[in-house]
Amino acid sequence: MGRGGLHRNVRKLSLLLILGVLFTAGVVLTGCQKGQNAAPTTIKIGLAGAQTGSDGQIGLSMLNGSKIAIDEWNAKGGLLGKQIEPVILDDEASGQKAVTVAQSLIDAGVAAVIGHFNSGCTIPASRHYNDAKIVEISPGSTNPTYTEQGFPYAFRICGRDDQQGVIIAAFLHDQLKVNKIAILDDKTTYGEGLANVVEKEFKAKGGTVVMSQGIGKDDRDFRANLAVVKGSGAEAFVWGGMYGQGGPLCVQLRQAGLTIPFVSDDGCQDQAFLDTVGGKAQNVYLSFGKDFNTIPAAQPFLIKYKETFGREVGAYSVYGYDAANVLFTAIEKAQSTDADKVAAVMKGQPFDTVMGRIEFDSKGDLKEAGYVIWTVKDDKLQVLPSGP
Amino acid sequence: MTTQTLIEITINGISRGAVYALVALGYTMVYGVLGMINFAHGEIFMIGMFACVYALGIFANAWGDQVLLNLGLAIAVAMIFSAAYGYANERIAYRRLRKAHVLAPLTSAIGISTFLQYFIFLTVSRDTVNFPRYYSDYLTSHHVHIGPAEITYLQLAILGLTLVIMAGLFYLINCTRLGIALRATAQDQLMASLVGIPVNRIIAFTFILGSALAAIAGVMVSMYDNVLVFDAGYRVGLKAFTAAILGGIGNVPGAVLGALILGLTEALTTLQFGSQWNDVTTFVVLMLVLLLRPRGLLGERVADKV
Repeated sequence: MGRGGLHRNVRKLSLLLILGVLFTAGVVLTGCQKGQNAAPTTIKIGLAGAQTGSDGQIGLSMLNGSKIAIDEWNAKGGLLGKQIEPVILDDEASGQKAVTVAQSLIDAGVAAVIGHFNSGCTIPASRHYNDAKIVEISPGSTNPTYTEQGFPYAFRICGRDDQQGVIIAAFLHDQLKVNKIAILDDKTTYGEGLANVVEKEFKAKGGTVVMSQGIGKDDRDFRANLAVVKGSGAEAFVWGGMYGQGGPLCVQLRQAGLTIPFVSDDGCQDQAFLDTVGGKAQNVYLSFGKDFNTIPAAQPFLIKYKETFGREVGAYSVYGYDAANVLFTAIEKAQSTDADKVAAVMKGQPFDTVMGRIEFDSKGDLKEAGYVIWTVKDDKLQVLPSGP
Repeated sequence: MTTQTLIEITINGISRGAVYALVALGYTMVYGVLGMINFAHGEIFMIGMFACVYALGIFANAWGDQVLLNLGLAIAVAMIFSAAYGYANERIAYRRLRKAHVLAPLTSAIGISTFLQYFIFLTVSRDTVNFPRYYSDYLTSHHVHIGPAEITYLQLAILGLTLVIMAGLFYLINCTRLGIALRATAQDQLMASLVGIPVNRIIAFTFILGSALAAIAGVMVSMYDNVLVFDAGYRVGLKAFTAAILGGIGNVPGAVLGALILGLTEALTTLQFGSQWNDVTTFVVLMLVLLLRPRGLLGERVADKV
């Protein structure tokens, strides 16, 4: 190495030095910016859920429900005298992506999170919100694990699958009076979790489960499973999963010549399911919450949703709306966005929502889940009149 | 387990295999000529589904429900749409990368695949769309009896179509002047162009043909599954790709054989262990075949053997 080499080294060194100086300046500058933001003029609220992927539509309609609540509160003057600023992120119904979303929301400095939708997203994300001391309220995740982790800031404004599974098993055994059932699920945290509860509860009632299988979330040919169902002598068929598969599954069940009851869950409570199976479908039953179409208090919201987004509400829009309202009411009552104070308010008193008066238990679950059985009748999904 | 269940499972397995085969043929043809895996093939298949259903809607509004006429025209529209997309893919995403490192067109194909999926998701439909059952009812509700079990006309149609297309492609590649040009392009593009074969046009033709076949597959599968959705191409595409490898990628009868084996494996797994084991058994079969016959069951690219 001669003089030239040394010269090059000096140039490299000075380049490094310059880069170093620039980097330090950058850090200092951003640091200053953070300092300036110390007194924000808005309260940031995270809205997280699936907006793309096969659960994109139902997830988006949930977030849209929350957006309407935010607009209403902002029009009334905001929260604690500040405007609410939604930070909306898409977890693509993927647990891994949900963790990234959680981290981004925490970095953005949100005061609380409304979401996620899929249980498989809410559960991994909840650990991060808990560590960051952020209240999370899920409008649609029904897997029990979410609130069983002992996180003080985790809430849900829907039922749990162990409540839903009990209702489904009781319906099969007591109302349909079947003894042999076949179960298929979509292998997700939600679908499989629910299917397991139904299986356990149905067996506890003295019934027999003649088939219990899982299938990939993007499979749409169920004929092999249905051939097994046919050979097993099942008297009813249970699907634990979402409407995207539930619809074609129900159609293929009938095409295979099976007229046994098709029983499914809140994941199939969607217009798209009805469109696929058709308004004349017989012997189709779904478990879901109360019928918000018949609740007078929900009507202004339903109308406003249609005006704002140009389409009917999704199954979880009302839950998204209620979750936001409960959260904001609690923040207003606590006069703070501090997670401990907000959580204490939420667990300490009942709230009036468009779905009626609700109360949280010490885990963050609803004290009364209010699941009922729905059916397809007169081209509509309707609550099944109780009794046989 | 009754014989009826066993026969039904076999029928369903073969039909499912035929569905995979329809898509696998396109994969294997492009690979046979270009030595490149077109990961966007599943999306071309999905675009065929959507084009068909929207065309059916338009025709039904224009002159009423003429089942055969509308269905025939809609399949033609789907084939034209898919072929146009396939050709555009080749021009935009692959042609300039033909001489690049082997990973470049592969990455480009994955990019195109994601792009097309979300393009359809954002512009056409976020939700599942139903295939109008008015057009498929005849095929799904009539069946032929095989012992105690039955096979629907639709399943027969899918299987028949697969075999006809396989035979057609085999004839095209091995017995026509165009086939000679295809095989020459597959062997050596430079040499082929020196003897006067329009290599670019031959490759474009391969994409157009493969995409039109994907559209036919799309129509059949959307009838079979009753619904179509923007990510429908992903899983079927992956399975078809596996089938093509199993049979020996680039080999036309191999793709069909691989697909039938795959479909039967899945159906028998469902019967024996439950469908949650499908992916496990599928890939165990793939691994065993590749360990014993690294070039697939019937060997790789037909052209290399000439």
